[in-house]
Amino acid sequence: MKKHITRIYMGLILFLMYAPILTLIVLSFNSSKTRAKWGGFTGKWYIALFQNDDIMQAFYNTLIIAMLAAAIATVLGTMAAIGMNSMKRRYRTIFTGVTNIPMLNGEIVMGISLMLLFIIARVNLGFSTILMSHITFNIPYVILSVMPKLKQTKKSTYEAALDLGASPVYAFFKVVFPDIMPGVLSGFLLSFTMSLDDFVITYFTKGPGVDTLSTKIYSEVRKGIKPEMYALSTLLFVTVLFLLILINMNPSDKKHAIQQAKELERLAAGGKKHRITKKLIWGRIVPILLLIIITGGGFYYGNRNKSSAGDQVIVYNWGEYIDPKVLDIFEEETGIKVIYEEFETNEIMYPKIQSGAIAYDLVCPSDYMINKMLQNDLLAKIDWDNVPNAVNIGETYYDKSKEFDPTNEYSVPYCWGTLGIVYNKTMVDEPVDSWEILWDSKYKNNILMQDSVRDAFSVSLKSMGYSTNSTNIAQLDEAQKLLVAQKPLVQAYVVDQMRDKMIGGEAALGVTFSGELLFMQRENPDLDFVLPKEGGNVWIDSWVIPKNAQHKENAEKFLNFLCRPDIALMNFDYITYATPNTVARDMIEDPEVRDNPILFPNDSQLKNCETFKYLGSEVEEICAKLWREVKSS
Amino acid sequence: MKNKKKWLAAPYGVWAVGFVIIPLIMILYYAFTSQENGTFTLVNFAEVFSANNMKALLLALLLAFVSTVICLVLAYPLAMILSSRSVSQTSFIVLIFILPMWMNFLLRTLAWQTLLEKNGVINGILSFLHLPNMSIINTPYAIILGMVYNFLPFMVLPIYNVLIKIDKDVVEAARDLGANTFQTYSKILIPLSLPGIVSGITMVFIPALTTFVISDLLGGSKILLIGNVIEQEFKQTNNWNAGSALSTVLMIFILISMYFVNKYDKDGEGGAVF
Repeated sequence: MKKHITRIYMGLILFLMYAPILTLIVLSFNSSKTRAKWGGFTGKWYIALFQNDDIMQAFYNTLIIAMLAAAIATVLGTMAAIGMNSMKRRYRTIFTGVTNIPMLNGEIVMGISLMLLFIIARVNLGFSTILMSHITFNIPYVILSVMPKLKQTKKSTYEAALDLGASPVYAFFKVVFPDIMPGVLSGFLLSFTMSLDDFVITYFTKGPGVDTLSTKIYSEVRKGIKPEMYALSTLLFVTVLFLLILINMNPSDKKHAIQQAKELERLAAGGKKHRITKKLIWGRIVPILLLIIITGGGFYYGNRNKSSAGDQVIVYNWGEYIDPKVLDIFEEETGIKVIYEEFETNEIMYPKIQSGAIAYDLVCPSDYMINKMLQNDLLAKIDWDNVPNAVNIGETYYDKSKEFDPTNEYSVPYCWGTLGIVYNKTMVDEPVDSWEILWDSKYKNNILMQDSVRDAFSVSLKSMGYSTNSTNIAQLDEAQKLLVAQKPLVQAYVVDQMRDKMIGGEAALGVTFSGELLFMQRENPDLDFVLPKEGGNVWIDSWVIPKNAQHKENAEKFLNFLCRPDIALMNFDYITYATPNTVARDMIEDPEVRDNPILFPNDSQLKNCETFKYLGSEVEEICAKLWREVKSS
Repeated sequence: MKNKKKWLAAPYGVWAVGFVIIPLIMILYYAFTSQENGTFTLVNFAEVFSANNMKALLLALLLAFVSTVICLVLAYPLAMILSSRSVSQTSFIVLIFILPMWMNFLLRTLAWQTLLEKNGVINGILSFLHLPNMSIINTPYAIILGMVYNFLPFMVLPIYNVLIKIDKDVVEAARDLGANTFQTYSKILIPLSLPGIVSGITMVFIPALTTFVISDLLGGSKILLIGNVIEQEFKQTNNWNAGSALSTVLMIFILISMYFVNKYDKDGEGGAVF
């Protein structure tokens, strides 16, 4: 009876541990691109994975960082453990205390402290800063694994070896090291695993163009994870599982490691034992071969990336805001390497540009943010002679851009659209035409709001008939009260997860951008979009060149390339957000898309809509504070 | 000879000063200086103790506490079961708990979204069985579930590690001397496994207290924990000073737990996860 209970209990816990993993494995075979829907069985993501350079690159970065960090940490940590073990008590306490800090300090505090260090020391954030940070948090794990083993070793054997004439180094490797070997190994393995799984510290200490799997996934969370990612994780998981089973099939238990080493010696001395050979192959050679394949692949991808490092352009764009093929075509045509980095919101992008820690060449912020960057003198004038294709952009869009770029000298429109309500026809029976519906208690827990200050405030300001650019504190306060009142009805505040959630029928109503509709409808035809009668926000995302750009000419070349009609069309097909490139728009074959009133609204539809302006740092701060209060109310 | 050996710790000492101590001093520096001109100020701490931030801190403390308790309740029996297995199985069993970490932490947490959503897998199964649906996604319960799920191994392994070192004879001796099951636990097993329990508690409590990812993904951004506030200060509001002040307050909580660890776990043995 008791045995059954323990079995059931173990089973339950293991189920809890492995249910999400099973889910991910299943998702890797899902032919639908969104996780919200099962579209049938497919293996195509596994093939797509190996053609997806971004993911493979991130994967190998992760592996190489984990490997190097674990190796260096193991050496430093083992040395430290030995040193600490022979210290006087007082010093040892100090060292132990210091060792505990990274283990006990929250990851976030550690990530931030290292980021501050690197920025103040003017170290370029990148591969090396991630590596240093990982070593830092790995060393304590090594020390804590080695220390107990060291305590178990008998000093007398070591001293005996010395008495018998061994040099200290020789005695150490012959006598002490084999005893602490299991601790060193598990320290290494633990470091490797922690490093592989780390997100927070990498997130704070990484620079442009360097992504590990974690940071890659985090930037994808917003738009929905690429199915290739599931495929990669499944492969990784299965490989490790396979290795584990292999190693455990043979009694290479840590305790046997020493014994095995002895047997190895005997083997080297000429003794032939078939069993040992077999053990050698499965327990050592196969894992080592795998290791070689993995690191080899890493260097392959690593080198491919650096091959043309001489001529490059560093692009900073919204997530999922370009067809990846476009980058390949550009690289092929010009030989200029595109270093591509993504951001989630304007507010995340701005400080990076402002601090100048990273010199981006081409950035794609929204209207009001461009205004802010202009006012803070962060942008360079575009040399229009280098961007002849800019004439393909419709004149109306340059006119609209004057709201934030009064002289039309700094920005080239890339995508535009409106903010409105997407709704599920099966869940909403009344006509949707007003923002008011978002305050209807009938839809409690069925509403998704935008998780961004300006968008959320523009919804509540517009619903009261105020301007989205209101700087009137009383109006903003009122708007905030409305948002607080709305909060109990809201299911979640999301940015681009809206897609998956609306497609999956998680909510009836969502505040989102017009460009999302095409994609959503493709996956779930019950969805529709409305631009509420009170009007809303019409936004433009445009390309700008920061003042500190290092490769301005390349940036202009790339910009010119993006304005080419065929390329703009490719991007439109991929992003599904309205393109201001009128030549490209005329090339759209499907008239229902080309003349879609939601995607390309005419001026009469837009009469109540406004473009965001920068409100000044004071109002901006007030808004940020009010918004924080909404979120934490 | 001994004196020579201790210098082996020197590279680590230098490393620790450079990458642990100095960065912490920097946080303190930012926490006590003003954003505008870098002069000494306590304004940032006034910000910390604003009603909203205190709410986020208290909520984080509460959720972290609940998750830690649940982890402990789940993990102790589990560690007991594991430690009674035969030696040859142990490393495999331990690795079973490490293995999930090879699937990225963010993906694992996201998978819970798929499982828990209104039209998610679990509700699908429940409706199939004609059982009432549950809706815990975007609530604190989902966050607790995420924390327990992610941090359970850090509770199981230290306790397990201590338990396997306990001499079975001690338990048998207690039995022979007439102790009942309850007494064996309360007088022998639990006191002996205390270092493991303490280090398990800290290894669950601290990450749970400081997380911002789990609350973000499973709380629908509706529930702000102290970690979210700090992350926003650094990544969005760009107010490093207020963020540093918040981090400093967090560190105080961490110092308190460090005190407990040092008290119960003098040898640092419980901290060894393997």
